Amino acid sequence: MSDAAALSAAGAPRFNWIAAAGVIAPFVIALIVGALLLLASGRNPFEIYALMVTEGFGGMSRIAATLSAATPILMCAVATAISFRAGVFNVGVEGAFYVGGLAGAVVGFTFVALPSPVLIVTELAAGAAFGGALMTLPGFLRARLEVDEVVTTLMLNFIAINLTGFLVNTVFLAPRTGNSATPMIVQSGWLPRLAPSSTFNLGFVIALALLVAYHLWDRYAPLGFEARMTGINARFSRAVGIDVPALIMKVMILSGLVAGLAGSVHAAGLLHRFVAGFSPGYGFTGLAIALLGRNSAIGMLLGSILFGALASAGTTIQLFSDIPIELVDVLQGTVTVFATVRLTQLTLHRRGGRS
Amino acid sequence: MIANDRVDFGAAPGSIHAIVGGNGAGKTTLMRMLQGIEQPDEGDVIINDAPARLANSSDAFRRGIGMVHQEFMLVEDLTMLENLILGAEPVTPGGLIDRKAARAAAEAAEAQAGVKLDWDIRVAQAPVHRRQILEILRLLYRGAEVLILDEPTSVLAPQQVRDLLALLRKLRQEGRTIIFISHKLDEVLAVADDITVLRAGRVVGSAKPGQTSAAKLGAMMVGEEIDFPHRTARTLAGRAPVLAVQGLAALDTRGVMRLNDIDLVVRPGEVVGVAGVAGSGQDELVATIVGLIQPARGTVTLDGRDITTWPIAARRGAGLGYISADRSREGLCLSATIADNVIAGRHRAAPFERMGLLRPSIISAHVRRALDAFAVVRRDEADPVRSLSGGNQQRVVIARELDRAPNLLIAAQPTRGVDIAGIAFIHREMLAYIERGGAVLLVSEELDELLLLSDRIVAMHHGRATGEMRGEQADIDSIGRLMLGEAA
Repeated sequence: MSDAAALSAAGAPRFNWIAAAGVIAPFVIALIVGALLLLASGRNPFEIYALMVTEGFGGMSRIAATLSAATPILMCAVATAISFRAGVFNVGVEGAFYVGGLAGAVVGFTFVALPSPVLIVTELAAGAAFGGALMTLPGFLRARLEVDEVVTTLMLNFIAINLTGFLVNTVFLAPRTGNSATPMIVQSGWLPRLAPSSTFNLGFVIALALLVAYHLWDRYAPLGFEARMTGINARFSRAVGIDVPALIMKVMILSGLVAGLAGSVHAAGLLHRFVAGFSPGYGFTGLAIALLGRNSAIGMLLGSILFGALASAGTTIQLFSDIPIELVDVLQGTVTVFATVRLTQLTLHRRGGRS
Repeated sequence: MIANDRVDFGAAPGSIHAIVGGNGAGKTTLMRMLQGIEQPDEGDVIINDAPARLANSSDAFRRGIGMVHQEFMLVEDLTMLENLILGAEPVTPGGLIDRKAARAAAEAAEAQAGVKLDWDIRVAQAPVHRRQILEILRLLYRGAEVLILDEPTSVLAPQQVRDLLALLRKLRQEGRTIIFISHKLDEVLAVADDITVLRAGRVVGSAKPGQTSAAKLGAMMVGEEIDFPHRTARTLAGRAPVLAVQGLAALDTRGVMRLNDIDLVVRPGEVVGVAGVAGSGQDELVATIVGLIQPARGTVTLDGRDITTWPIAARRGAGLGYISADRSREGLCLSATIADNVIAGRHRAAPFERMGLLRPSIISAHVRRALDAFAVVRRDEADPVRSLSGGNQQRVVIARELDRAPNLLIAAQPTRGVDIAGIAFIHREMLAYIERGGAVLLVSEELDELLLLSDRIVAMHHGRATGEMRGEQADIDSIGRLMLGEAA
């Protein structure tokens, strides 16, 4: 019984092996499902998987590519986990990622005269600010009027994605182009590269720092404590004097700030501008990772690196084999499904019920 | 953990068999096995001389075993009649619910039990004791031969308890078997044919009512001598009240007026008890004083300050403590650690926080002291509070609330689900708090508890105060009459 409780998404973020198994198990199942698919189409799954491991982790440049791909996923996972902790099911990270990305890009091609560090910080701050601002609306609706945040944040994604899409085709469209992209961020506004001839950049370090900050927030900040208690039992929190509506508002904005920051890091670090279709669903992948890692820092780190490896291996694996990239989608989808099932919790529940 | 260890008991057809035991004695686990909700690791459930494997509660139903749970399983927005047939609706050939057949079945069940119900009102509008009768009739409608009733009298006034016991005797006459779970020994002695006593998962004795007494049963249940606390007479004339409630009125979530112009005063050094049948407005009285709901009218004054519109945190800061009647959902955060539960609400106060960060070592040292002071049996403060027994969970609540040294303690059902030894401990702690100059507003459905602890007892009925008695002059019968809105 106590194990099951410690395992719950809301439990204390301690490293334990059962939780780690909860992260690994969905991947193992996904690999089996993928292997069956490959066998059915007459291919050797071991060969393909070996190729994927090589493509994901074989050598410094491949690892750099994997970590680079993991960066936006990890940041979106943290953004999601902040709200999940408090029992707020914010699915609007994707939208805030777009808004933050556009804000960062606009700063980056507008204030070209600023010294490099100042410009970068301004880009990131603008991204975070717009992301946070976007979340005040669903935050307010949930906290004060008890409007379901799943509906509002999901719908807000469409508004954010299409509004930024409109802006990038009109006011912020790069001159003399027709391809739905802003002008490039001036080079002094790019996040420094950490490995030559790769896309690996300072963004990953920012994501790691953010993850550590999240862990500390969760354990040591009064707001993190309140979020944890409210996520488990809002009625209890209210009775001991925690202002639950104010907490929900704060958590929602914090989640938006991180999601917006993630967008601007992606713009400044990788794409160096904002384009329509800026994110291939990082917000939702991050959500899956937060579920998979049960909001724990270590779990989310592992999860996003594995997803990053899948993504980076998937793009190159097509070049060397006749495997369609859809295999990666199948693997990701299976992982996500089994992550949400929370396998270990189910089995523990059954054991707990008998003891 | 072994909740039931080699328990043997048999209920003869057409008899009332009582199971008594303190909390944690294993009564609930035993009943869950009879219901098929849990499976025994060893041993059998034998129905009509044949071992039966009960996989779930509908299995049990098919074998003629039905249960009335302590918390009723009724749909409040449906009518009494609809609740009766829910799950086994009579259907017309056209596939619609056959209301005529349902009505006939309802009347047949009424006749069997010798009661009358108003079938067309919604359950939400029905008083608690009528809902309970509905639960029993529902079992009759479903053809149950064995009726299990889990603490059925805890929500009733004394006079209603007598009616319920009469109903059980009537059902026994009809040849049905009743398993009656209770910790109220007087009722057990009044109605049961056989009594089985459980302690720590084992059968420690069985008896016939004629050959035993409440004292003997109590000794068997506890297994040790308990030092029960005694109230010492107190004189409290003329002290300024800690809590003053004036003309307080409140609506419940459905917009029904539940609290009607209550006036109440609690002075330092006294316990004011509130007696009432469940749903008489005590919950709303507590919720408005604590700040969980806003009153429709009236004022709440704490130490001379009008706190009617204050947020909960401010009230607690001003010295209000609160023991919730709903320990598992409001009193505690079950999946969180014991330490988190003790510190919650004070986590932003010095010395537990400095420069925006919590200080875990100071917190755990403080928590350890507080838990030791209240003799909370635990393995580690970092364990989830869920891992504790019910009695120890409640001690965690009391440790949190009294550790803050409040001026006023609102104690709602402070010993609900706590074993006898735990109850004595909690009573001692509350009396010690009173000796230190504290004040308690005690809401309880246990009249014995009210009589033991209260200096004054206020009875409530339909949201109004129907009378007040001095603790030493009060007796169960006169309070019972006040609880039903009659003159004492």
